[in-house]
Amino acid sequence: MNYITPCLYAFGASLAFAIVFNIPRNKLLLSALGGLLGQLVYVVCQLVISNDVILYLLATIAISLYAEVLARLTKSPTTIYLAVALIPLVPGGGIYYTMLYFINGEMDLGITTGVHTLLISGALAVGIIMISSTVNLVRKVMLRGSSKIGKKRKHGKNA
Amino acid sequence: MTITQLSHVAMEMGVILLSNGAETYRVEESMHRISIALGAKEAEIFVVPTTIILSVTLEGEVPLTRTQRIHSRKIDLTKVSEINHLSRQICYEPTNYKDLIAEIRRIDTIPSYPYYLHVLAFAFISQMFTLFFGGSLVDSGIGFLIGIGIKLQMDIMGRFEANVFFTNIVGGLIASTVAVTATGLGLTTNMNTIIIGSIMTLVPGLAITNSIRDIIAGDYLSGLTKGIEALLIGAAIAAGVAVPLSLLRPFWGG
Repeated sequence: MNYITPCLYAFGASLAFAIVFNIPRNKLLLSALGGLLGQLVYVVCQLVISNDVILYLLATIAISLYAEVLARLTKSPTTIYLAVALIPLVPGGGIYYTMLYFINGEMDLGITTGVHTLLISGALAVGIIMISSTVNLVRKVMLRGSSKIGKKRKHGKNA
Repeated sequence: MTITQLSHVAMEMGVILLSNGAETYRVEESMHRISIALGAKEAEIFVVPTTIILSVTLEGEVPLTRTQRIHSRKIDLTKVSEINHLSRQICYEPTNYKDLIAEIRRIDTIPSYPYYLHVLAFAFISQMFTLFFGGSLVDSGIGFLIGIGIKLQMDIMGRFEANVFFTNIVGGLIASTVAVTATGLGLTTNMNTIIIGSIMTLVPGLAITNSIRDIIAGDYLSGLTKGIEALLIGAAIAAGVAVPLSLLRPFWGG
């Protein structure tokens, strides 16, 4: 039960964000499912891995993959799925506690939390970059391959 | 299609994309593809988050350059998606000018979700995130109210064209004032959870995503601009939240 409820909350929040972003009616549920997926991966991997920066990285990789695949399937921009699914992973708590420690005068704790929050944001960025770049590369290699096959079939085998 | 009509179609589509929350590289790519598909010999496009510069050349004609400044930006991904679809369609089968302009007008006037749904969505985001971060049902109710408050405040300030950072400072201020007051009145003990949950409504999710995606696409200028926007909004929210926390807590003893 403890594993399911955060996923449902993330789903609800993502669905509401999809409305705020004015996502097309028929894609509302699909984009909100991305938020659920990210949280699910986070919660499940938590059983094995304890470092939460890695957990955020894995969750971001999962939602980026989900977004890229769905964008190709439904022929719509990747952002529609990615932006909504990413929001439950944004470290709002980290930003808040960093600020709270600083105004309470606890500099050490503030700096530790701040660096930790930065690392999490970095993990989100790296996760998106890894998947998007890989997908782009694969797409270009495949396009190159198919155009070569079309043009120079007599050369035989092609990549 | 004449060069004026061609540049008009490409520019209109670019403006809709850019002012409704598409990534900068997508605007450049789409405008380039549309121009070539409609018969331009060359098309050079330069886009930053506030401006589009388009220069097209037709066979045997003088090049034509247009500049368009984007003044207001909002988020409407339905329009982005529809224009994206239209640009695909143009690449497969070029249509005539009249039909294209009519289609662009239709997309530009697609209604977004009704206003009450937007307000409810804000309230719901705030409520869900309060629960998500471990709040109780009472906490989530307070979060719900803060969400409504933040949405109304953002719209009122948006109507007077207040700048984004000030709007977010006031948003943080509202969230934190209500949460500190509720704690002071003894309604709840999870002040932090409520504040975190309700400031999630202000998180610039699209700016973060677009900034990363623009940087991947090699558009560092736009990527950094959006990234800094996201960072400053984050700082503004924190600053707004900090004020009532420092000023009110001594009175309430929270």
